[in-house]
Amino acid sequence: MTIKRTLFLGFFILIVIFIINFLIDYRLSSEVVTNSKYLSHSEDVIRNSNMLHKNMIAMQNSFRGYLLTGQESFLIPYNEGIISVPSLLKEQKKLLVAPIQMSRLDSIKLLHGHWIVYANGLINAKRDTVPEASKKYEELFEKKLRMEAGKKINDSIRNIFIDFDTYEYGIRQERRQRLRESIIRTRNISAGLTIFSITMAIALSIYVVNTIVQRIRKMTAFSEDISRGKFLQINDGKNDEFNILSISLNIMSSTLDANFKELTAKNKELDQFAYVVSHDLKAPLRGIDHIIRWIEEDHKSELSLEMQKKVELINGRVKRLEGMINGLLDYARIGRTKKSKTEISIDSLISGLIDLLVPENFAVIIASPLPNIIAERVLIEQVFANLISNAVKYNDKADGTIWISYNDLGHYYEFNIADNGPGILSEYYDKIFIMFQTLKERDAFESTGMGLAIVRKILDEMKTSIKVAPRNGGGTIFSFTWPKEQIN
Amino acid sequence: MKPKSILVIEDDYLDIVSIKRALNKFEKKFELNIAHNGVEALEMLNGNIPDQKKVHPDIILLDINMPKMNGIEFLRIIKNYLSLNNIKIFITTTSAEEYDKLAAEQLGITGYILKPLELDIGNNVKSDDNKKLIKELVS
Repeated sequence: MTIKRTLFLGFFILIVIFIINFLIDYRLSSEVVTNSKYLSHSEDVIRNSNMLHKNMIAMQNSFRGYLLTGQESFLIPYNEGIISVPSLLKEQKKLLVAPIQMSRLDSIKLLHGHWIVYANGLINAKRDTVPEASKKYEELFEKKLRMEAGKKINDSIRNIFIDFDTYEYGIRQERRQRLRESIIRTRNISAGLTIFSITMAIALSIYVVNTIVQRIRKMTAFSEDISRGKFLQINDGKNDEFNILSISLNIMSSTLDANFKELTAKNKELDQFAYVVSHDLKAPLRGIDHIIRWIEEDHKSELSLEMQKKVELINGRVKRLEGMINGLLDYARIGRTKKSKTEISIDSLISGLIDLLVPENFAVIIASPLPNIIAERVLIEQVFANLISNAVKYNDKADGTIWISYNDLGHYYEFNIADNGPGILSEYYDKIFIMFQTLKERDAFESTGMGLAIVRKILDEMKTSIKVAPRNGGGTIFSFTWPKEQIN
Repeated sequence: MKPKSILVIEDDYLDIVSIKRALNKFEKKFELNIAHNGVEALEMLNGNIPDQKKVHPDIILLDINMPKMNGIEFLRIIKNYLSLNNIKIFITTTSAEEYDKLAAEQLGITGYILKPLELDIGNNVKSDDNKKLIKELVS
């Protein structure tokens, strides 16, 4: 599966979990809302029932007060009740669902109606001042009131109210319990789902990140192998975005492998070339050298002065060609064979070279003790030897002087070899490093023209540089850099 | 005393002359046999050349780069000749190529000498191998 798909699938699973979480939460919260609605409905019914009963009792009190005192002001609650009780009954009826409660309410309504008829009769009789009315009142008082007709109705109403309220309290209690339970359930399920979602999110993130990191690590390890020269092929068998990278790396690896093999083959060819040059080209040259020597040894007395001069000329040319072939061989050998690296004291290396290359009449001034480096001795020695021998060879002063100093450049040293020779025109600064190039006529000055070309090639191999500058007071300064510790 | 027998295996006429001239500078005489390639040298060592005695050299001067059979191949073959074990073999060549040197050393040679030969006793001979050869020649 591709990384993209893995990521999408991961996110999709997470989104699904969150949607399920949301739906369950929504469902649970609706249950809580419904339960709380039921509860508040129950409370409304109870409140209404209380108000209804209170109004009825107020009417009864008001009715009794009027009968006792005959004062109309006592009838105010009664008259208010005439209006409010039916509307309260209507309102209550709308709220009720249970048939048993409805029938109880109907009973209350009916009984209250009876009581109103009974009360109205007594109130009207009490209110009329005509003698017949007074008699009628007496009669009603004796028959109805004394016989507790009203009280019986009211007792029935109270009993129904008690039943009604008891039933409603029960429902309220049950709904309150249900609400509490649904709140707890919602809270628990919600917490559980949230923990589950977070755990899933973390697990998925870890899985996806791990998958990607593992793939990156594998590719990194593979490219590190390539950079170390292990040109293997990776076969990861997966089909994701990194597979394209692994294919590219495989191509790179095999290309590098092929190129390195070709390079090795080319190096071998060069070896062969160097060998051929050294053996086959030098052999006839050496033969000529031998013959000249033998002529000089065996026939010197037979040679005219003119012939001796010409033989000498041949000899010079043979030596020059030999020098050039040797220089070319040295040049071709640079970087071809790796020697072991050792710690080298530049001080002792220079003093050895001075003994070998610098004549007595020259002065060599070394600015300060020179450092130690870790390098292939033959390479650094060749660079110093060629520069010092040039400084000697081309010097035209009676008091020839060579100055050697160095600067610390962090990972590198810069070595300076200065002379008080004739100096070099700046337009020749590049030319002098080209092989077989010399600035003096060969007949006047014997040189192979390979010395600085070899220096440049060694420094190119080391990936360092050399520069030429005029010296104050005449002469030239060659400055080259060299790593403190040579790394292949 | 019987003169020392030297077998020179060398294809270059000038090198042969050069060796002869170098040996002539010694006071003592040597028995000198020349083979122009490895095959001829083996024939000489085996006594297979008509009208010529079997050669029993004390010293072999062996060139590396030769036609028919080069010096290294020659060394590989004679390594199996037990009777040749006490022969001092010196490689003579112009190149200081490492692999030649290594291959020759593995095949048990006595020394390794760069041409042209500098064998004068009076000369300031620097190479240890050259000194070894001179010692063998004068002993």
